[in-house]
Amino acid sequence: MSNRTLPRLLQTPAVILLLIWMLVPLSMTLYFSFIRYVLNNLRRPEWTTPSIENWRGFGNYNFVLNNQDFWLAVQNSLLIVCSILFLTVILGVLIAVLINKAFPGRSLVRVLLISPFFVMPAVNAVLWINMILDPVLGLQGLAVGGINAVIADLQNAPIIGPFFSLWPALEPISFRATQTSAYAVIIMVTWQWTPFAVLIFMTSLQSEDQQQKEAAILDGASAWSQFRFLTLPHLGRPIAIVVMIQAIFHLSLYAEIEIVSRGNGNKNLPYLIGEFANNNIGAASATGIFAVILANIVAIFLLRMIGKTLME
Amino acid sequence: MGRIVLENVTKSFGETQVIPPLNLEIDDGEFAVFVGPSGCGKSTLLRLIAGLEDTTSGRILIDDADVTEVSPSKRGLSMVFQTYALYPHMTVRKNIAFPMRMAGLSEEEQEKRIMTAAESLNLVDYLDRKPGQLSGGQRQRVAIGRAIVRDPSAFLFDEPLSNLDAALRVGMRLEITEMHERMQTTMIYVTHDQVEAMTMANKIVVLRAGVIEQVGSPLELYRAPQNLFVAGFIGSPKMNLIDGPQAQKHGATTIGVRPEHIDVVESGGAWTGTVGVAEHLGSDTFFYVHGTGLAETLTVRAIGDVSLKHGDPIQLAPRATEIHRFDADGLRLP
Ligand SMILES: Nc1ncnc2c1ncn2[C@@H]1O[C@H](COP(=O)(O)OP(=O)(O)O)[C@@H](O)[C@H]1O
Ligand SMILES: [Mg+2]
Repeated sequence: MSNRTLPRLLQTPAVILLLIWMLVPLSMTLYFSFIRYVLNNLRRPEWTTPSIENWRGFGNYNFVLNNQDFWLAVQNSLLIVCSILFLTVILGVLIAVLINKAFPGRSLVRVLLISPFFVMPAVNAVLWINMILDPVLGLQGLAVGGINAVIADLQNAPIIGPFFSLWPALEPISFRATQTSAYAVIIMVTWQWTPFAVLIFMTSLQSEDQQQKEAAILDGASAWSQFRFLTLPHLGRPIAIVVMIQAIFHLSLYAEIEIVSRGNGNKNLPYLIGEFANNNIGAASATGIFAVILANIVAIFLLRMIGKTLME
Repeated sequence: MGRIVLENVTKSFGETQVIPPLNLEIDDGEFAVFVGPSGCGKSTLLRLIAGLEDTTSGRILIDDADVTEVSPSKRGLSMVFQTYALYPHMTVRKNIAFPMRMAGLSEEEQEKRIMTAAESLNLVDYLDRKPGQLSGGQRQRVAIGRAIVRDPSAFLFDEPLSNLDAALRVGMRLEITEMHERMQTTMIYVTHDQVEAMTMANKIVVLRAGVIEQVGSPLELYRAPQNLFVAGFIGSPKMNLIDGPQAQKHGATTIGVRPEHIDVVESGGAWTGTVGVAEHLGSDTFFYVHGTGLAETLTVRAIGDVSLKHGDPIQLAPRATEIHRFDADGLRLP
């Protein structure tokens, strides 16, 4: 036995296990996406068992592409993922830079900041949609009601009354409506995932070289220039990590969408897959393949963009 | 111009005073070296001058202007750090351009100065590389380039060579000295290595625990160390310090003789002992002599190759005119 065979042999079980782990679900999805496969059909009972005889070619893909919800779901997936990424990265960098300076009670603040990350997604969604965003009983409803009450009082006041009577009464926003439910999802997931970004950026900031900063101060760099030319490039890699991980997680958001609107006008790809999977496994699989393609495009595109803008 | 004056400058970190009141003048065009053991406050002093630390009390003057409260970038000084502190995401060109970019110089002027600096520092071929792709010596040169293009009134170096290997260190030492000869700009150079201090400086400032022990030219410090600390610190190998009856014979508490001022003689030497380790360098031979009854070990330098071996008896004759005498407080006696 050559000195390479033994290590290879020893690695084999792990490699095979990994391959099975990845390849089996992917190839089964691919297979199902090319055949007719439904869970329930009284007229064509042969379609209820997966078999190569039910070959449909690109039929499932055609069916999905022509489904009115598909493009909405793609659009919505992108809107939700990109908005969350944008907001969490910006908020994360700002907060991380703020709490990187020493101040009394810093460790407590840090623990509090991280805590949203430990809330379960479904609980998070229920809390936000019912207690905070609800137009009547939530914080939003109470706040809007309160402001309206103050304005109404001011309208009756002497002298300044006429000015305030020009003000319209504020309308609370219903976040369960077709047009707004995506925003509710974006808000609640951003709240939950900003701590993750803060955590990663904070560790990275602590490893920033202080002598570089001092050199920059002597070179005449303002606080903004130091941030722009030293801190941001230093954060380039952690930002890429945060974006990658979050893109993977948020392309598959489900609980929040289910709880906010039951997909009413606010489907994303996983939700659409879920709907198809109630009966049409073939269409669900084809949508799954589209989701894989979309995830890859998003990942490549985002990484390019970060590489270009931050690393100069 | 670059005349730097410190008046009663002190620095404390919290309760601990690192620099007690300190006065120092560095003339325009001088090459001043701060030397002392590590932790004695050399870097702190340099950072006070640069403005990276605030003074606790006292005044700092550059060209007769009080800069104690002036921000670091307005003091017109350039600093080269021990870790180089290059900007890792920028190419060499952008690193060197950075101070000019911050000052808002025109693109042509920037390019002109970059090329001048790169040519004088042998960096032309590396302008488009990132610092990570350069060797230690090249990084050091980039850091110097970035300092030069600002056209400062003085350069500050904080142990710039201590991350380089021995051969490179000698090379860079010569380059920096050469650069000073050419530009005649004030330079303040911090090191714990007395060889660097002796070879580069016009003016050496010996520091111990934040206190200036002696200021003078290298040869002044070598010929007339003001106290035992300077005597032991300057010179390589170290001066032999002897106390007891032998010192009292010279009317001192301690006497000091440098290894190169003790002759190895065949007979009639004042001191006798046995050779311990003998280091034969060819040009010189160093003997570590035991059993003299004066000090545990005496270091002796003989010119050329003297063929005495471990365990041989040796006779030593100190040159009477080269004996330094110190009193009970460790201060030099005339
Ligand atoms: N930021 C700081 N906070 C507290 N103590 C410091 C700080 N910087 C330096 N010191 C102390 O000041 C003394 C001198 O340090 P330094 O100037 O770095 O010495 P050197 O450069 O001569 O080795 C040391 O005892 C060090 O512990
Ligand atoms: Mg130091």
